[in-house]
Amino acid sequence: MTRVRVTAPQSAGRRPAGLLPSGSVSRDAAVDSDVGRLYVRSLIRSQLRLAIAVAAGFLLVLAACGLMVALVPEIAVLRLLGVPLNWLLLGAGLYPVIGLAAWLYNRSAARNEARYRELVDER
Amino acid sequence: MNPPVGLAAFLLVVVATAAVGFYGLRISRTTSDFYVASRTVPPWWNASAIGGEYLSAASFLGVAGLILLSGTDALWFPVGYTAGYLMLLLFVAAPLRRSGAYTIPDFTEARLESTAVRRVTSLVVIAVGWLYIVPQLHGAGLTIRISTGLPSWVGAVAVVLVVFLSVAAGGMRSITFVQAFQYWLKLTALAVPVVFVLLHQGGGAAVPVPEAINPTGLPAAGPYQTVSLLLALLFGTLGLPHVLVRFYTNPDGRSARRTTLIVLGLLSVFYLFPTAAGLLGRMYAPGLARDGRSDALVLLLPGELVGGTAGDVLSALVVAGAFAAFLSTTSGLVVSLAGVISQDLLGGSVRGFRIGALLAAVVPMAFALVTDSLGLAGSVGLVFAFTASTICPVLLLGIWWRGLSDAGAIAGMLTGAVLCGGAMVAGTLLGGATAPGWLAQPAAWTVPAAFAVMVLVSLATKERIPGSVARVMTRLHVPERPLSSER
Repeated sequence: MTRVRVTAPQSAGRRPAGLLPSGSVSRDAAVDSDVGRLYVRSLIRSQLRLAIAVAAGFLLVLAACGLMVALVPEIAVLRLLGVPLNWLLLGAGLYPVIGLAAWLYNRSAARNEARYRELVDER
Repeated sequence: MNPPVGLAAFLLVVVATAAVGFYGLRISRTTSDFYVASRTVPPWWNASAIGGEYLSAASFLGVAGLILLSGTDALWFPVGYTAGYLMLLLFVAAPLRRSGAYTIPDFTEARLESTAVRRVTSLVVIAVGWLYIVPQLHGAGLTIRISTGLPSWVGAVAVVLVVFLSVAAGGMRSITFVQAFQYWLKLTALAVPVVFVLLHQGGGAAVPVPEAINPTGLPAAGPYQTVSLLLALLFGTLGLPHVLVRFYTNPDGRSARRTTLIVLGLLSVFYLFPTAAGLLGRMYAPGLARDGRSDALVLLLPGELVGGTAGDVLSALVVAGAFAAFLSTTSGLVVSLAGVISQDLLGGSVRGFRIGALLAAVVPMAFALVTDSLGLAGSVGLVFAFTASTICPVLLLGIWWRGLSDAGAIAGMLTGAVLCGGAMVAGTLLGGATAPGWLAQPAAWTVPAAFAVMVLVSLATKERIPGSVARVMTRLHVPERPLSSER
């Protein structure tokens, strides 16, 4: 569930050009009005929420693996290709999880930015 | 090990590094300057370079050695080293690239508009860099002793000499190429021997259970130790001074994220091999742990298990990879430290940069020569705890919290530095292995303490929040205008 702040489209007066040295249109639009500031705040909030969610999900998987290895000693007896399962889990199994988390984050972060850009361009 | 073989491997790495550096220098001269050149570096090269700089003595030698010593407990080290980059991706990569800052002191000064913050950050960065170089030199000493029989100090001095000469000569303009080359060299140097040993041993019928062998009789780490270690590794990576500079070579925030994703892939592939080497050592060469040679495991494994000419060739390959690790991490650290020292203490001239490079390399060398290594992975783990308690809070709060004030930043960094530094000194004085857990792995209490002080002091000094905060936050988080070619 993502919260979306609904605001009426506004055409607030733009500042005279050249006041802000950063040449980017989306950046200029971002700072020069109350609506712009609101958009930036909601972009930052959604990016932070996304980062915390991915980090929490990953830490949960990490904790689950740690608990499993610590509390279920039978796992060390099971073997896959001659390697005990607990070694396989901690030594190789966590890397795909890290990669997956990173890939998901990249996709969603880019989507948040695209949404922000659409909002700014609409004005 | 055969001494001439080891020596030849070392010289080969030095020559190859110089050659790749020279080649890269020619390329970067064809474009108008370094920064323009960096925009044409494809993400794969850039990611390889980040991996090359990051994989240090701790990763190349220390991880396998620690797995040999403590088994599955040590598997958290490579996981933490890799997942640290996930945290860097989530919380730091794109905003930091967009900040335009080239070093961590640049960032904190720009964000908080305070030269005092800059000075404190610089001191912390210099401390981190020095602490991080020491284990590299310990690793170099160990490698030269094992591979050639020469005394340890030769290795440390040789690495410092090579790094200082190349940095001072200005050859580091081509550093991206050198570091990228070092990643692939390190991967090959570890993967080929490990796969060879695996195939060689695969025929053996009786495979001992690694859990049944506990060569050291060390007790398993408690949950506190593991949690504290993971906290240090996860949140220490994003404060390493030589990592940030590399992110500047990405053209924009989005490509910084893409590069980090590739780095994660490269690190994941790499760490499979020290893990496998540690497991092999535990199964077939547990004797190495008993006589205190565990950190030399990957160096000795081919000789112990394969032997003969094949063993010699594989050993030479591992020695080459090990020196690639010491050289790349040390030179990355010396470059970023020299920048900080010369800018903040010596006025930023070229001569200042050279003096800075000398200070950056010689101080940890002196320290490395008078101390003994207590396990490479462990001592690098402590450095991560230190960055997680000092630089990590100021970066995270600076990027995500508008309420951070300069007074809060300084108070938090000093708290983290004093607590974590104090725990490190006290733990060493009490003698590594016998120190209580909360001193040996301090991150679990020093990181929250630093965050708490930083937040509380900032709340108490609201009037010191810089007026530029809205503008800076916008710059950090708003995507760059897409290039016309992307549309």
